[in-house]
Amino acid sequence: MNVEPIPLNASLLLFLGIGYLALLFVCGAAAERGWIPVRLLRHPVIYTLALGVYASAWAFYGSLELAAHAGLGYLAYYLGAAGAFLLAPVLLVPIQRITRTYQLASLADLFAFRFRSRWVGTLVTLVSLLAVLPLLGIQVKALGDGIDVLTASHQGSGIALVFCLMIAAFAVFFGARHSDQHARHDTLLATIALESIVKLTAILVVGGVALWGVFDGPQHVQHWLANDGQALQEQTPKLEAAQWRTFLLLFFAAAFLMPHLFHITFAEGLSRQTLLQASWTLPLFLLLMALPVPVIWWAAQSRAEMPIALPAYAIYMVSEHSGVLVLAFIGGLAAASGTMIIIALALSGMVLNHIVLVARPPEARTDLYGWLRWLRRALIIGVIISGWLFYQSVSHQPDLSTLGLAAFVGMAQCLPGMLALLYWPGANRNGVITGLLVGTGIWLWGLWLPLFIDLPLPSLPFTPLTPADAPLWYQITLLSLSVNILLLICVSLFSRTSDGEKSAAEACSVDAVIRSKRMPLKAVTVTDFTLHLAQALGDEAAGREVDRALKALNLDSQERRPYALRRLRDRIQANLSGLMGPSVARDIVDRYLPYRHDELPATDDIHFVESRLEAYRSRLTGLARELDGLRRHHRQTLAYLPVGLCVFGDDGELLMWNNALTELSGINGDSVIGSRLDSLPPPWSTLLGKALHSASSPLYKEPAHLHGQDYFLTLHTAQLSGYDSRGGSVVLIEDHSEMKRLEDELVHAARLASIGQLAAGVAHEIGNPITGISSLAQNLRYDTEDPALLETADHIQQLTQRVTRIVNTLVGFAHGGHQALPMPCEPVSLSVISEDALNLVYLARSNDDVRFFNTCPDDIVVCGDGQRLTQVIVNLLNNARDACQPDGQVQMSAGISEQRAWWQVRDDGSGIDPSISDRLFEPFTTTKPAGKGTGLGLSLAYQIISEHQGRIDVASPPPGHTCGTAITLWLPLYPQDDVKPYAQNSDC
Amino acid sequence: MYVYRIVLFLVFGGYLLSPLLMNGWGNPDIAWYRPFLIWGSLIALTIWLEQKRKLDER
Repeated sequence: MNVEPIPLNASLLLFLGIGYLALLFVCGAAAERGWIPVRLLRHPVIYTLALGVYASAWAFYGSLELAAHAGLGYLAYYLGAAGAFLLAPVLLVPIQRITRTYQLASLADLFAFRFRSRWVGTLVTLVSLLAVLPLLGIQVKALGDGIDVLTASHQGSGIALVFCLMIAAFAVFFGARHSDQHARHDTLLATIALESIVKLTAILVVGGVALWGVFDGPQHVQHWLANDGQALQEQTPKLEAAQWRTFLLLFFAAAFLMPHLFHITFAEGLSRQTLLQASWTLPLFLLLMALPVPVIWWAAQSRAEMPIALPAYAIYMVSEHSGVLVLAFIGGLAAASGTMIIIALALSGMVLNHIVLVARPPEARTDLYGWLRWLRRALIIGVIISGWLFYQSVSHQPDLSTLGLAAFVGMAQCLPGMLALLYWPGANRNGVITGLLVGTGIWLWGLWLPLFIDLPLPSLPFTPLTPADAPLWYQITLLSLSVNILLLICVSLFSRTSDGEKSAAEACSVDAVIRSKRMPLKAVTVTDFTLHLAQALGDEAAGREVDRALKALNLDSQERRPYALRRLRDRIQANLSGLMGPSVARDIVDRYLPYRHDELPATDDIHFVESRLEAYRSRLTGLARELDGLRRHHRQTLAYLPVGLCVFGDDGELLMWNNALTELSGINGDSVIGSRLDSLPPPWSTLLGKALHSASSPLYKEPAHLHGQDYFLTLHTAQLSGYDSRGGSVVLIEDHSEMKRLEDELVHAARLASIGQLAAGVAHEIGNPITGISSLAQNLRYDTEDPALLETADHIQQLTQRVTRIVNTLVGFAHGGHQALPMPCEPVSLSVISEDALNLVYLARSNDDVRFFNTCPDDIVVCGDGQRLTQVIVNLLNNARDACQPDGQVQMSAGISEQRAWWQVRDDGSGIDPSISDRLFEPFTTTKPAGKGTGLGLSLAYQIISEHQGRIDVASPPPGHTCGTAITLWLPLYPQDDVKPYAQNSDC
Repeated sequence: MYVYRIVLFLVFGGYLLSPLLMNGWGNPDIAWYRPFLIWGSLIALTIWLEQKRKLDER
């Protein structure tokens, strides 16, 4: 049977390839222009499919080759990666946390950050570059050789170059729009996801053709394996268990160390949930990719008459149908192009940050962003072209496995460093550099350089421990990794670890004990930040970076809090790290935004530690979770304490401001925590400063003006000290305003009681002379018939009776505020007593110009004591008259409403002073000058009306008026079957 | 944390036992798709563990 594919036209493949890549451009443009909904672009499925970039041309072609050479050993490529993602919660999520927090976009960034060394970053970049070149070469080789196989010609190399240029153009257009490498590339991810769909579809369709076209279904495959195929399978070498495990280890490491995988997983903003979800979605994708591989291989074997020379391209031997061949070719192109795009983006960033910018730092460039963008674009093109050049250099290598193993073993040299980074805070840069240098050297000498030149291989030191017939890749892998790990451990143990490394190790460690220090910055305002940074970045870039960091932290440009400025510095460093890598970013920030080294020792930034603990709360487990639960409980206890509480560090920085204090002060804790004591808003800076300086004794009832009112606060201060104390002071603030008011009232009541006793004494003394005057007036009536004298005698008697009543009232007030006698219930005509009251007021009037009007109707009769009601209305009229201007008016009116009588005195005077409106009816409350009023009038009126089961309404000014006062008395009506209403006769 | 321990157990257990897979290649007594069935079962188990983890974190 002829199983050689029917040669396709090279021009057709070129056209199809260009057409497919053009489709990617259209897809990218559609996403850029918003034709694809953002919801879809950011769907977790898109991220999962983008992670499918792992399945490169190796998965499409190399797996077939590995299946031919190692049987099910080909599965190691898929299972290794599946294992890495299955460990996402304990392996990938911690890496994601670090890369996101510190804006680290590549493996080199991560290493440079953790080991505080630009040399480590540069070394990791070089190792990645050298390791990835063979992988890039595989992609181009698979395309070129595949075209050669399909067209039975040697035009593959040229066509592959055209594809490489188009792929580079795509990467430049859609991957290097932003200078920030940590920026999200939705368009790019969507395109890579599309490529994953294309390659998955292609391999499933070809697998389906193999299963149901070449065989008659799964059972037929089994039958063929038991009969015709058995001899062929027995010839297939089987991997030793140790070699299989080494394979697994290499592909496990590749799944998160390879630059393109690291980029998609950690630099493209996958959420934690999506990453955790990928622990099963990616293995599922890889299962679907791996499933057709053996079927395709067996189908090719079943159709071949002789051993297959190029097993990698057995996919083209399943069918002669041009449609199937083209689909397989497009699938391979999709697998290769996606990988090349992401590798180019990732490597360009690493080379830029750790080689170019380290060699040539940006010194206040006018167009920093543009310069970085163009550098990156040039590097992207350079990386892809170098992949094509590598392919040209190794074109004599017939199989992909050799190239692939060279790549994967090289990248695995970073695995010991990565594990140490996560799980061993004791590792240092010396250990990592030494281990990496020696391990990489062994790898280069054993696997990489032999791709180009023949090197003599001396007897390997580890050879006695491995089987004599063990393949070279296996021996090199074991030797390089063992030496790498050994040197990393030994050198780290016996060399000094810098303080910077220790702090970065804490930040990176899975069980991190983050003890961020509270150090003051030299820059004390946001403007200082911009000015200082401009020296390194130029004015425009400095302003943009500061604004970006402020926006990310939701801070104001007027921010001065030391805590906020420290966060701003961290954010700027993280953002610059995303732009230029952690080494350059750290250099810039350390140089231009330095800390101030005061004499005071730096203390822990407790608020920052707490905010991070809050953020990681759901990830704490076991004892840590229990402890965090306790911490939250104690914090809540303090936060919800019904007494104001604040805590200051030894440097005067505010660390806590609880809810009660927020309510009392009207100042939200979030806006002041992290401030210095002296920058708190008044009166708190003075008040709390005073409390802190008199820590030994509490401050009692300190006056403070808050929310327009006077408060009295008691402050207690205690120093925080003891074992493992972080220092500082705690201040408790109690609001004693109410207590102070009650105390004042008590004093006032005591004063009133004294006055009442005094008044009772005076009244008693006045009573006798008044009785005498009344008797003399009575005698005068009998002794004369002169009408003028009689009228005078009448008036004297009326006035003495009034004095007597006042005296009686004072005595009653002094004896408990109640009238000694029970209140009579007589019919009282409001009209009549209004008129009587007016007459009395006229007698004592001092200002002729105030006019009184009585409009009370005659038919309103209330139940009560006429004399006492007259006393009330006289008091009201006198007050009204005193409040009026010379030409003022006082209006008396009455009516019935709601089954009660209302009786109103309204004036157009100056109104009631608001300062006494709350205590209008308290005794001795008056605004009149001394000697003009006792302040008892309204108090007595209130008492009398209350005894009449009535009430008093005060409106100042009355509704609809701009000045004056209206006092309305509400009194019970007298029953209808009444007798003659009370009228104050001349005897009263 | 217990979920993570199960995952760790699965991965390292699988790592140690996985060489047994090699015997399946071309063995007519073993269904050729059996490794994929085992793989699929592991994925189902991972989905279940993921749901359990989500409930734990709520």
